Amino acid sequence: MSGLWPLTVRELKKWVRNPTFFFTGLIQPIFWIALFGSAFDITKFLSGPSGSAAASFLLDGAPNYITYIVGGVLTTMGLFTAMFAGTQIIFDRRLGPMGRFLSSPIRRSSIVFSKIISSVIRILPQVVILVVAAYLIPNGLKFVHGFTIVDVLVMATAIILIAFIFSSIFSVIATRMTNMQSIFGIVNLVNLPLMFVSYAMFSKAMMADWLGNIAQYNPVSWSAEAIRTVIINGSLTSSQWVQEGRWLGALAALAAGLLLLTYYLVEKEIRD
Amino acid sequence: MMDGTIIETKNLTKVYNGNIKAVSDLNISIREGEIYGLAGPNGAGKTTTINMLITRIAPTGGSATVGGFDIVRDSLAVRRLIGVVPQDFTADEDLTGRENIMMVSQFYDVPKAKAKENIGRLLKLVELEDAADRLVRTYSGGMRKRLELIIGLVHEPRILFLDEPTLGLDIQTRTQMWNYVREIQQKLNVTIILTSHYLEEIDALAGKVSIIDHGKVLITGSPSELKASLKGDIITMTLTDQKSADLMKTVPGVIEVVDAGPNTVKIKVDNADEALPRVINFISQHELSTIKLTVQKPSLDEVFLEYTGRSIRDEEGGMDRMKTAMNLRRARQ
Repeated sequence: MSGLWPLTVRELKKWVRNPTFFFTGLIQPIFWIALFGSAFDITKFLSGPSGSAAASFLLDGAPNYITYIVGGVLTTMGLFTAMFAGTQIIFDRRLGPMGRFLSSPIRRSSIVFSKIISSVIRILPQVVILVVAAYLIPNGLKFVHGFTIVDVLVMATAIILIAFIFSSIFSVIATRMTNMQSIFGIVNLVNLPLMFVSYAMFSKAMMADWLGNIAQYNPVSWSAEAIRTVIINGSLTSSQWVQEGRWLGALAALAAGLLLLTYYLVEKEIRD
Repeated sequence: MMDGTIIETKNLTKVYNGNIKAVSDLNISIREGEIYGLAGPNGAGKTTTINMLITRIAPTGGSATVGGFDIVRDSLAVRRLIGVVPQDFTADEDLTGRENIMMVSQFYDVPKAKAKENIGRLLKLVELEDAADRLVRTYSGGMRKRLELIIGLVHEPRILFLDEPTLGLDIQTRTQMWNYVREIQQKLNVTIILTSHYLEEIDALAGKVSIIDHGKVLITGSPSELKASLKGDIITMTLTDQKSADLMKTVPGVIEVVDAGPNTVKIKVDNADEALPRVINFISQHELSTIKLTVQKPSLDEVFLEYTGRSIRDEEGGMDRMKTAMNLRRARQ
């Protein structure tokens, strides 16, 4: 796909060269894990032996809240970064580069895929920083069963898939929009609902029934649960593996479907 | 592509939103190696025509070939063959000039060594070598236009489209751009299609020009042919009173004399250099006195006036035209 490589390199250059953009992106994970880890930790109200049993039940057996939510925070961070993947498309249209791209013999989808791929790449250092920060803060992330290659692979796979899913949705939206305000409006409308109507921060046991029922269809839940399961349990039983496969499989299927749809829509029509 | 024709349109038409007719039944034929001008006022359909030829938008009727390729069926082949310098800036402000050109060279799969060589030569051509490694954000308007000019050339296109290349530039920068365009055409041997609503620009650069308005070609020819077709120069004279002005209508040996305002007449002659002494003799014989006398050799502006019935700068004719131009602009976005 000619054009994809130079356009992706362009996006990454713009990212690295913009110190505010670059450093805020790297500091953000530390803020998130520290704030969410303290703010939403309801297990602090539970004390004594019966309290820790209840806490363990609410946290699906995780030793503490940070260990429980690290998968959720990783996913949410991926989600938030990915939702802004499309904004550059609007800038390109407004500031002129889109005109150049459209009159070049490159595939039109490579314009959009370069945004998607670069946003996925931007998320990866955030993942590393977040995990390290979660591990270092007091009463932080505990790998009860050690930190294995399985943890790394599941984390990376889930976050990359989440990033593909949401960056393709929001990039396609951006190709139909001509101003920034609209896309920011849409992002603001759905970001918190996507985060809270999911198992990212709270388990189903902690939610109102209706909320818990809706949350199981949210890809954010799938990713959060997939990461959580390997972190909390270490080596999985075969039924846990099946469940793990379902979550990752669903994410992969959705990502693949959306990427194909993006390709189809963008090749068919990308407006000046 | 017999007889060296490189671009040909047949009844090319573009209608926006079902009712805004930007280009209608346009027929032009451009020969390899020439600089071809499309002149016309804002909203005449120049940019729409270019956008169809560069395959950025699809026509709603008719057809066109560029370098022998159909603009709809073989749009990718057309894009490989052409270079485009659009009306708006397209360079990324957060990259350097060199990075911008390099990126575009990759769009065309130009081998890296070849691209480097071309970029060096092009930067030199437009005297941007010193600024090449600065971010485009720091460039002046004229520098950005020069950069745009060479971005469109990095893959050695056979055909270059220049859409209003000097729009918004001051007069010195404009003449400098003209020199670059001439140099490009001579040194790189490309066919250039140029749109402009500065008729002096078309006159200075183009070997052939089509005047278009309301999406139609009004006339085509070389600038000198078009000017010659007007037959004659104009002497405009303001005299002290209407009686004297009326008397001027009896001056012999001219094509015609018409009223042109209070105490003013326009005298059309074959050649002003030869007719002027006769006119001056007539004035002294009849003891008339003139307040003002101007001689005008026809420019493309007069040609435009002749064929459209109004001046190209005439934004009056008014709201309707402005509206058409604005609607077009909006529909294009």
